[in-house]
Amino acid sequence: MALNASAAIDAAATAVGEGRRALPRWPGWSRLPREARDTLFLLAVIGWTVLPHAPHLPAWSLALSALVLLWRARLALANAALPGRWLLVAVLVGAIALTFWSYQTLLGKEPGVTLAVALMSLKTLELRARRDAFVVFFLGFFIVLTHFLYSQSIAVAIAMLVSVWGLMTALVLAHMPVGQPSLARASGLAARTALLGAPVMVLLFVLFPRIGPLWGVPQDGISKTGLSNKMKLGSMTEVASDDTIAMRIRFDGPAPVPAHMYFRGPVLTRFDGFEWTQLGLPYAPTTVPSRPPALQTRGVALGYEVTLEPLRLASVPLLEATTAVAPVEGYRLVARDDLQWLADKPVLERLRFKATASTEFVLGAPRRAGELQDSLELPVGFNPRTVAWARAFRDAHRGASASRIAGALLEHIHRGGFSYTLAPGDYGRNAVDEFWLDRKEGFCEHFAAAFVIVLRAAGVPARIVTGYQGTDLPAIDGYYVVRQSSAHAWAEFWQSGVGWVRADPTGAVAPDRIGRSTRLAPPQGFVAGTLDAMSPRLFAELRSALEAVNNRWNQWVLNYSRGQQFDVLKQMGFATPGWEDLALLLVGTLVGLALAGATWAWLDRHHVDPWVRQLERIRRALRSLGIAAAAHEAPRTLAIRVRATLGDAGGLLAAMLDALELRRYSRNAARRPDPALTRDFAGETRRLRALASR
Amino acid sequence: MNADVLTAPWNVRARVRRWLAARLPRTDSQLLTQGNIYILPTRAGWMFALTLAVLLLASVNYQLNLGYVLTFMLAGSGIVSMHITHGTLRGLTLHLRPVAPAFAGSAAVLDVVMSSPTSTRFGIGLKLLEAPAATLAWTDVPGGGQATAHVSCVPERRGLHDVPTLTAETRFPLGLFRAWTVWRPQARMLVYPHVEADAPALPAARPVAGGAQARASAGGEIEGVRAYRRGDPLKLIAWKKAAQALETGAELVSRDTSSAVRQELWLDWQACGGLDPEGRLSRLAAWTLAAHRANADWGLRLPGLEIAPGEGDGQRARCLEALALWH
Repeated sequence: MALNASAAIDAAATAVGEGRRALPRWPGWSRLPREARDTLFLLAVIGWTVLPHAPHLPAWSLALSALVLLWRARLALANAALPGRWLLVAVLVGAIALTFWSYQTLLGKEPGVTLAVALMSLKTLELRARRDAFVVFFLGFFIVLTHFLYSQSIAVAIAMLVSVWGLMTALVLAHMPVGQPSLARASGLAARTALLGAPVMVLLFVLFPRIGPLWGVPQDGISKTGLSNKMKLGSMTEVASDDTIAMRIRFDGPAPVPAHMYFRGPVLTRFDGFEWTQLGLPYAPTTVPSRPPALQTRGVALGYEVTLEPLRLASVPLLEATTAVAPVEGYRLVARDDLQWLADKPVLERLRFKATASTEFVLGAPRRAGELQDSLELPVGFNPRTVAWARAFRDAHRGASASRIAGALLEHIHRGGFSYTLAPGDYGRNAVDEFWLDRKEGFCEHFAAAFVIVLRAAGVPARIVTGYQGTDLPAIDGYYVVRQSSAHAWAEFWQSGVGWVRADPTGAVAPDRIGRSTRLAPPQGFVAGTLDAMSPRLFAELRSALEAVNNRWNQWVLNYSRGQQFDVLKQMGFATPGWEDLALLLVGTLVGLALAGATWAWLDRHHVDPWVRQLERIRRALRSLGIAAAAHEAPRTLAIRVRATLGDAGGLLAAMLDALELRRYSRNAARRPDPALTRDFAGETRRLRALASR
Repeated sequence: MNADVLTAPWNVRARVRRWLAARLPRTDSQLLTQGNIYILPTRAGWMFALTLAVLLLASVNYQLNLGYVLTFMLAGSGIVSMHITHGTLRGLTLHLRPVAPAFAGSAAVLDVVMSSPTSTRFGIGLKLLEAPAATLAWTDVPGGGQATAHVSCVPERRGLHDVPTLTAETRFPLGLFRAWTVWRPQARMLVYPHVEADAPALPAARPVAGGAQARASAGGEIEGVRAYRRGDPLKLIAWKKAAQALETGAELVSRDTSSAVRQELWLDWQACGGLDPEGRLSRLAAWTLAAHRANADWGLRLPGLEIAPGEGDGQRARCLEALALWH
């Protein structure tokens, strides 16, 4: 890959070199012909839009885009002819073949992005008609969106805002066909358009009903790592380096101590020698009533609010032991007898709901015949040395209670030379044998799995619980963030007379992993390291400020989901908001706006300039006296005609017309017509008519 | 465009358009308001809507809040662009300057003054309603100022015609919508006959009938000299002075004889034998131009109409108008 990348850079450098040699003289930005300038600007915008994809694209794709864009720039500067269509088709076919070669498929996120980038670059070589330009713009908007599949950070948002601005500027430029409008002017007009559209954007963003994915389960876009219904030794290493957020918690009261922050996910009981799996269905069907857990709680109930990212599981990891969950729009959450909270279907959208938990609890008697038997089974022929070791261990503790045996095991882990590492290497078929007796290196899942196998071999019912343990330190606004890297596996064993008891063997070897609310920190980057070395305080403050901004961003923009929408509705006075209310409100607002616009348009249509209205009345009055008054004639012309026709009798009318002329057209003209003049004119006309009829 | 096609009963689109155009009042100064501006999405506008739908779908399926922001920002800009497109024409005044007479078959230029009482307006295109989009003449109108657009049309037939229906359109700023107006100016334009190409030479001038003829044969006495005029017979040129005049670059001089016959040039309908009436008018128009170029005195005779001999621009206009309007 590194080789490929440097090859790509070489290729790009050669392209630049060639371009420079063959380049026509650079006339200066302001002296470029209009068409060349617009094309170069569009190419720059395209480059800027594509560039953030560099880490996700194969080297050939980057090299191709750079080459094509540079070549197109050269053609624009030299005002040379564009290449023929067949060449483009050939390159496109090549790009498709290379995409297939890179990914072994043309479907999915990465191949899609690669193809879109190739298509957009190639389309610049075909900018002949306005239609072609539009294709580039629309592809550009699409590529902007694909960036959000990788990151929705503030930096990406700002970069993409610049992209959209640039694309819209190019679009505006394309519709200013006269002269050489400056880029500043066009970009100002584009910004004005977008800013005027901002209220519509906010309205739609706030009120557009957030619905779940419309079809399938798009595996891209959201991290594939995380909890699952199964566990295989070594599978969690991916998770440990995944910093994406699994959920955010806000406690109503004081938060529980970090050591109690266990978020219980799938409970894995069945073991086939390779893989641990769940008993029962991985979701809670609405048709089958589920057995509630036999739960006794002590202490005060703790209310909290969860914002759960889509984990693509029906199992909802909640704080141990959550006793009640407020209704969630679109899902039915129930607790099963193993204290797992299960939804009726995999959660594919961001959920926010309130729940109540007690961290002091006892999970009591089995509700099902054979539940304990399931928790004793071991596959035959796997890990024989560990089983033998366990039997010997049991014999050494003959008569001891399950708790005593578990305690002794934890003591063994603590003192037995085990070490906690995220990179224990691969284990073979009898992985637990190797881990428990030989290498003694592993992380939570190794410890939990070995612990449960030893307990089962020693005759104590035990099972693995997966979920999350620990959170980030609370952010300024009181949110505790649980990341995928906090994914954890621990054990539970059966103590007769008490119930299921939690034991975390990882804590015995790496108490830091459990006791503190921090995770294994990845090594700092070079800049951060330097800053930290120079001024630790400044660095900490900067970081804290940045995190606060980031948190706002997360809460207000990225995290805005159905829960927040309903909160907005509640604040507006909807007692029990549903998404119908949202749709109603949105449609209502839009209809209201449209009606307001229509009313304004109607008023505007019937608006006549007051000067015109006045003159029209005066003309009508004159016609009633038998004096011709055409639409184009000025008051002065009319005055002359009045004097000629009526003589002295029309003196007053003529004077009024002269006054009107002065009021409207003289050096110190008034802004609005004088309504008194209109009235007087009409009165005088009536008088003259009356005189004439007599 | 072929007039037969336009009037054919099966050309419903053209008929509807003409019917609509016929309903419009004719005016030389048109203020564009809500009432006479039409607006519809362009093909690109529909494509934009499709793009928005795709973006929205992607945002929903991938739960991308920034995707929603992007989609709604573009949607908001699109809606605003509709109003800006409409506002680009609204409040604009179109005014047709007096139209100069033109010859059938050659381009006549219509000068349209657009004035904007408010802000600057970009990218306004003007064309004949029936002309293809490629003929749009683009103009920017400065705020509080005026700009002139020139539209050319090629009248087919001579006569006094209505100025053809014009249309002004704009797609500014984003090209998603096209706003246009249809304007029927009130002015009429005078169309002279088609000028015959390669028309034969002017007919010979004839001496005026009457007493002058007798004196002409006497040769006359020389009373002085005057500047050479085209058509002076060679024998009247003062050859003795010619060499000197040519050397200094001065004009040739002719001998002026009071007895010189008053030559009269008549462009006569009867002289264009063997042509159909329109052909005759074309030839007479060509002769009129030639006579005007030659600074001659000429008169025009048409059946039932005679224009007395005269010279200069006035005579040219009189004659051409007569040719244009001859029934």
